[in-house]
Amino acid sequence: MSDDDHHVLPKNTLLAVFGGLIVLTGLTVAVAVEPVASLLGPLTVPVAIAIAATKATLVVVFFMALKYDNPVNALTFTIGIIMVVVFITFTMFDTVYRGDLGNVAPQTVQEMDRQQKEAQQEMDQLDSEDLRVAPADYPDQQGAGGESTESGNADSP
Amino acid sequence: MATDTETAPAPTTTDIEHDHDHPAHLQHHFVSSEQQFDSAKLGMWLFLITEVLLFSGMFVAYAVFRQWHPTAFAEASATLNRTMGTINTIVLLTSSLTVALSIHYIQLDKVKQCFYSLLATIGLAGGFMVIKYFEYTSKFEHGAFPGGLFEPHGAHYEHLAQIPYAPQFFSIYFVMTGIHGLHVLIGMGFLGWAAFHVWRGAFSSEYYTHIELGGLYWHLVDIIWIFLFPLLYLI
Repeated sequence: MSDDDHHVLPKNTLLAVFGGLIVLTGLTVAVAVEPVASLLGPLTVPVAIAIAATKATLVVVFFMALKYDNPVNALTFTIGIIMVVVFITFTMFDTVYRGDLGNVAPQTVQEMDRQQKEAQQEMDQLDSEDLRVAPADYPDQQGAGGESTESGNADSP
Repeated sequence: MATDTETAPAPTTTDIEHDHDHPAHLQHHFVSSEQQFDSAKLGMWLFLITEVLLFSGMFVAYAVFRQWHPTAFAEASATLNRTMGTINTIVLLTSSLTVALSIHYIQLDKVKQCFYSLLATIGLAGGFMVIKYFEYTSKFEHGAFPGGLFEPHGAHYEHLAQIPYAPQFFSIYFVMTGIHGLHVLIGMGFLGWAAFHVWRGAFSSEYYTHIELGGLYWHLVDIIWIFLFPLLYLI
């Protein structure tokens, strides 16, 4: 209760932050258009997210005035954001490396990896025109896999 | 009440002070205006975190499905109008500036400027929704509906029918921008209410909690869009 006067952000600060936000918006569009986009390659997504995070930080720190505010608000917000990061990262740990949980075929992991690599090589040789297929056009690999599974089970007893 | 002040015996003095010696806006369970303001703000930040968590669920859905079906997401995302998305980003950033200015003005007791800043914010928010309306209708015209209703037709959309999981992108696009749009409408309503009370002279540098909280809410709506724009339109 000692600091009865609220911090009044000068108009120039607000305008400078706004200018920064507009520049960053231009930047994020610029890195998404063609010459730069293919140059960045796999970095496109991290760069776009980094720019968005910078913009959000500007808004939180200056427009929402967390910098000049009661620290407990910053603490609240930071804990929340950490939870969001945990939520996204740990979900991705699962879904990215999950593989095919429905596959109970008696194959070794190495075997499956080798098959996956072969399939990947095949995919790399395809051009984008070949990728445009409807689900109904899929080769009947599942049926073949099922048969081998059955024969494998028949052998085991 | 009048007799109370006249007789005013020593033991009840504090009670009388508590009843009368405070600004009209200060509620009895707070020690000071400052404490009341800080409590309201902490409450608002807690609420904003629940909003962030609400959207984070959708961002997780986006991340998982994008990682599973990168081709579908790239092709479907290419049909979104980048120009309109960029204009909308600038519109929303400007509205964030005007709402920050409205707080700046009310802190300096410039009630009129505060009122006009809030009006500008509401106007820009309306502009955002109008652009969003045109984007939505152009998608609907080409049958780019979410989920099972997906039936793309027309020059730039037809090929999406051949791409597995393309409808998934539109499901995520419509749900995320739809719920964001709902937040824009709620923010417009709240800021409109605040502007009305500013115009009536209910707020001053002594008491502007509602504008401050409305501003915080509006900035959060802006932040959500800051992330939605590159994720949906650009990458």
